[in-house]
Parts: sequence; structure tokens; C-alpha cells
Amino acid sequence: MSTTPIVTDAALVAAVADGDTTALRELYARHGAWLHARLLRRCNDPDVVVEVVQDTFVALWQGARRFRHEGEVGAWLWGIAFRRMVSRLRKRKDVVLLPEWDGPAARQHVLPSAEDEVLLGVEYGDLAAGLRRLSPEFRAVVQAVVLDGLTTREAGRLLGVRENTVKTRLHRAKAQLRTALTEAQEGWR
Amino acid sequence: MTTGIQGWHADPALLASYLAGDLDAITGASVEQHVSRCETCRTAVGQLLEPQLLDRTWAGIRDAVQSPPLPYPLRLARRLRLPESTAVLLASAASLRGAWIVGAFLTLSFATLAAYASGGTTLAPFLLAAPLAPVLGVAAAYGPRQDPLEGLIATAPYGRTRLILLRTLAVLVSVLPVTALLGLAVPGPPWLAAAWLGPALSLVPVLLALAGFVGPRFAAAIVSFVWCSVVLGSTWATLGSTWPVEAAQQGVYLGLGVAACAVIAIRAGTDRQPGVAL
Repeated sequence: MSTTPIVTDAALVAAVADGDTTALRELYARHGAWLHARLLRRCNDPDVVVEVVQDTFVALWQGARRFRHEGEVGAWLWGIAFRRMVSRLRKRKDVVLLPEWDGPAARQHVLPSAEDEVLLGVEYGDLAAGLRRLSPEFRAVVQAVVLDGLTTREAGRLLGVRENTVKTRLHRAKAQLRTALTEAQEGWR
Repeated sequence: MTTGIQGWHADPALLASYLAGDLDAITGASVEQHVSRCETCRTAVGQLLEPQLLDRTWAGIRDAVQSPPLPYPLRLARRLRLPESTAVLLASAASLRGAWIVGAFLTLSFATLAAYASGGTTLAPFLLAAPLAPVLGVAAAYGPRQDPLEGLIATAPYGRTRLILLRTLAVLVSVLPVTALLGLAVPGPPWLAAAWLGPALSLVPVLLALAGFVGPRFAAAIVSFVWCSVVLGSTWATLGSTWPVEAAQQGVYLGLGVAACAVIAIRAGTDRQPGVAL
């Protein structure tokens, strides 16, 4: 990393817990933008996104003490933000954006460069190929639970299906992914 | 999960198409996972987003964080998940403010002390004060006419009956427990601790019914005067210190209370005028 922060996120959260608004401003500067970006990919109403990010940072201000210094601050904030958005979107199904799994070629103006492809692949490796082979329903569940960190219940709320359905789909999706990964590894040898 | 290769960062074109929603879900998710862990790419995302959007969000956060804390009744009402409008109405009720409750508590404490000091022979101070505390509380829930908040409420599109019942309930909830506790400390027959509830609970609808005709202030004066006459009259006529709350009299209060409720119900049915606070 080129810009190693002098003050860590966790230290800033501790300062926020003591009522330091400058620390809150700094945390917003560090995390506000990507939270907006990530939420905007899930909801196409910027007003909702603005309110959710506001709620998230106000919740941070009020509940900074509750941050257990184990995980990453970013992941913690994302957890608060996305949960708030899911509960807000329960009545606003019209603005929910579900990821476009089969990304229509026409919209893909920019393909990741070969190098990017390889390096992004490091994040998931053969998992991406496995994900691509899943049915859209299964992928939506994997996205909500595994990548976005919702509980099965919250994922059900987001996707408009029952919790048990989410559990079943997740279970089957994981089984399929496992098979896909094993096959891929055998292919390497 | 892996943390990605150190030193690799998503290039601006990739981030831009991520922000534009042009990446397919898997590439998008990869970018997301990387960005959420990478300081440099987080900053890069910040430079690609509209600054107005980020400023707008920050303005809201700053306002929420810097605004003074809400008054206690509002916070309590929020915690109980009451709607915001209800919470504001309750918070604006003058008698739900701390000073009023402390005043009621002190009055009742002195009355209890007086009853105690007399060795249980003089219950008049307690019997005078205990039923009047909720009655005056309900009347005082309506602030002075010139109170700007009261003016707002008078014009609020809020059902009149609902408003009255809500405020009455809130006052009773805040005043009755204190009075009940003090009632337990009053010397005299054990049933006395509950007996004052009879007149207290019937005088509230009487007050509300009267207030519909003459306004809360004048109604409170009438009810207080009548109740004082009953208590002082019984003392003067040496009818016994507990006379105002004995069974026969309780029946009268009950009858009065029921009649008052009927009046309120009839008026609420015929007069659907919204807003006007009493």
C-alpha cells in the first residue's frame, strides 16, 4: 500500500466512541465513498443510498463503543449499511438492483484487461468459473449470504423468498461450487 | 479469503466501469472485495464519485451528530417505537416535562408527610392532592395558548379524540405510579392506598368532558374546586377522615366518570373537527 495510514481505522473508531467528530469525518473520508459505490450497485435510488450511508455513520457515532476490535472496520460498516438498506428496501422492491450475472455483452464496454483478469482471479480463482455455472437463483443467494454477509433470513427478505428456500439454495450452491472447484483442481494436475 | 496481491490496484477504467454498473456480477464482486480491503482503491473510488453526493451525505451526518440530544420523552417514545408525530405531541405536553412531575411529586410528598405527622387522623391533605395530581396533569398537558408549539399542535391534522386520549394516557402513566407509591406510605386503613384511585380516575373524564365546553383551564378549576369542597366539607362535617373515598361515594364517582365518558364519546362522534386541542 502506498499510503499507509498513520492512524488505523480501529483507533479512529475508538476516538469516535469518545465523541471526536474529526475522527468521524476521517472515517467518512476513508469509507464513505466505497460504501456509496457498493450500495449504488444494489439500489438505483441515490436518495436511499444517501440516507443509508447517513444512517450508517450516525449509527457508528452512537455505537462506536460496540465495535469489537476483531474484524475490519470496513467490513463492520458494510454490515451495518447493507442491513439497513435491506430493511429499507423491503417496501421498495422497485429500486432493488440485483446483479447482472450474465452481463449482456453489449453493456460490457470495458472488459478487464488480461492482467486484471488474472489478478482479480486471485480473489476468487476458479470460484468465478464455478459461480458462472450456477443458476441465477443460486448465484443471488451466494452473493447475498457469502459475499455481502447477510444472514439467511435477511437474504430471504432481500430476495423475496422464504428463509428455508435461501438455506436450501445456499446448501446446493455450495455443493455445486465444491464440485466445480474439485474438478478444476483435478484439471490442473 | 485472500487479501489480493500486494501492490496491485484496480485501474481507473475498471473502477469507472464498476461504478457505472457495466461489469458483470462476478468481476464486480471481485472489484468490491478488493476495494473494501484496499486503502488506495478506496481513495480512487472516492475520486470517481460525484463530490456533491458525498458532500450531501456528510452534511446529513454532521447535522445528525451535532444536533443537541432530543428531550427525554422523545427518546423514550422512540425507544417504545411510537411514531414520530406521537412522540412530538407527548414531548410537547407541558405536564410531561420534568418540572411538572417533580412538582406533583413534591406536593404529594408533603401531603403524605402531613398525614403521617398527624398519626393518620388527618388524611385530608393526601386525599386532596392525590386525585387532583392526574387531573391537573391532564389539564396542564395543554400548554398556554401563546405557546408556539401548542399553536402548531392546534393546527396539526391529528384526530382530536386521539390526541386527548393519548395525552391523558401519557399523563396517567407518568403520574399514577408515583402517587400509588406514596399512597402506600399513608397511614390509615390498607385499602386507602388504592381508594384514591376511584376519584382520580373518574375525575379525569369529568375534566375532559367539561374541558370540551369551557376549556381545560376553567374545567380544571371547577373540578379542583368541587373536589376540595368534598374533602374539606367532609372534614368540617366530621364525617370521618376516609369519608370521601368510602364505598358509597366511590359509586357516585364511578357514575360521574361513566357519564363523563358518555359525553366525551357523543361529542367525539358528532364533532369530528381535527386538530383543536380540546
